Amino acid sequence: MLDLKHTLGDFEDSLRNTRKEVLTMASVAQQNLGSAVTGLLNRNEDLCNDAIAEDEEVNQLERAIDQRGMEILIRFNPVATDLRMVVAAMKISANLERISDQAENVARRARKVLKKDAVQEVNLIGPIYELAANLLKDAVKSFAEDDANLALTLFERDQVLDKLHRKAIKKYTTLMEEDIENLRTYLNLIFIVRCLERVGDHSVNIGEETVYINQGRSIRHIGPSALNDEDED
Amino acid sequence: MPVVNENRSSSEMTSARDKNNSEDEKLANEAVIEVENLSFSYDLGKTNTLRDINLNIPKNKVTAFIGPSGCGKSTLLRCFNRMNDTIATAKITAGSIKIMGSDVSNPRVDPILLRKEIGMVFQKSNPFPKSVYENVAFGLRIGGERNKTAIDEIVEESLKRAALWDEVKDRLKESALSLSGGQQQRLCIARTIAVQPSVILMDEPCSALDPVATTVVEELITTLREDYTVVVVTHNMQQATRVSDSTAFFYLGELIEYDLTSKLFTNPAKKQTEDYISGRFG
Repeated sequence: MLDLKHTLGDFEDSLRNTRKEVLTMASVAQQNLGSAVTGLLNRNEDLCNDAIAEDEEVNQLERAIDQRGMEILIRFNPVATDLRMVVAAMKISANLERISDQAENVARRARKVLKKDAVQEVNLIGPIYELAANLLKDAVKSFAEDDANLALTLFERDQVLDKLHRKAIKKYTTLMEEDIENLRTYLNLIFIVRCLERVGDHSVNIGEETVYINQGRSIRHIGPSALNDEDED
Repeated sequence: MPVVNENRSSSEMTSARDKNNSEDEKLANEAVIEVENLSFSYDLGKTNTLRDINLNIPKNKVTAFIGPSGCGKSTLLRCFNRMNDTIATAKITAGSIKIMGSDVSNPRVDPILLRKEIGMVFQKSNPFPKSVYENVAFGLRIGGERNKTAIDEIVEESLKRAALWDEVKDRLKESALSLSGGQQQRLCIARTIAVQPSVILMDEPCSALDPVATTVVEELITTLREDYTVVVVTHNMQQATRVSDSTAFFYLGELIEYDLTSKLFTNPAKKQTEDYISGRFG
């Protein structure tokens, strides 16, 4: 972050408020995801309903951040780090909105699971959620603290999540054949695992935007190795 | 360089330019102006207004000079065509400026011919109190052109290049002072390009213009790069981002950063640049 304040107080306030709104949005999205998964694991439908209802707040925050971002672009013509921050904040908010959508999807699938008998293998979701939630937490932290190094750790960690995701899908697919009575439950759990895997992907996207803000280099679709390649150039 | 009287004629210079135009893109990007370790003083060397400047201005590109007032950007611009010669105590105290390979400080360089090769457009439009036509023809006549048909053709072509022809083609005999501010500035650009310079220097060319006239001049600058090398001093950073290929940031007589405009305005390498362009300058 830049040490000096902007000469225009309005500009400084707008930048600060944009960051604040992104962090608020992240907090709500994290909470929604937590409610949805906890609702599933603890068989608590109220928590699932909360996650579904609270998604609207995230949607509103996304619209507010977009509007503020456009206003900053029009009014203040930001450049350099300011420009990167505004553009990245708008992209991060889009990712957070998708994460909250995934939380809503998890909650809706969880409600269907709760209507059926409990299955022991729902416990596979716990470690996957832990990984996805930690990825999201650190993605948000990297943005909040402008920590590109933390953001760069997300790529490898997401691959661990992908591995667990594949493993769980395989397990649930096998169970669908072996335990036909609970076929619908396993199918819903597969969808939930996929949602959590997508949360990991969106967290990586947020990390990429943090790297862009911090270093001015886009590593989207290339990964952290792109930074080394550019350094060699 | 044609500015050294006895060596090369203007036609030789033109053919050299034509030859260059046919070269590949790499050659087209070659440096037209090379500034090496340049220091400059307004008080016979007691204090240096410019210190150890190094930069190359590429051919057929628009280069913007930005920086706070007093940073030396206009001073450097005026060094290129020796406009500072009019100040008795001004002198280059170290380093050199080469225009197409020739040192402009060489005593054999004729400043008048140099300024024909390196035209200049100023902050405030300064048409002569003559007709529109005579303003554009003035440099040609001074240069010895007597053929009226040739002058007519160049006047028309220059006014077209300056995006002014359609507005003044029926007013060529009217006083240039009757034109609007934006039209006067474009007339000055037409007057500059009529003598076929290699380089056009612009010192805040839009600062006295309204937004519409500014847009027209900015559009003109972007088209001029096809045939000329343009260096523009501006306080308007949005203008620098709109019209220039490269931007140099100056502060307190030093060149802080010089890079592609797209790079400098999105990811500057120096904190001083970042602070200045993002408005954090105390």
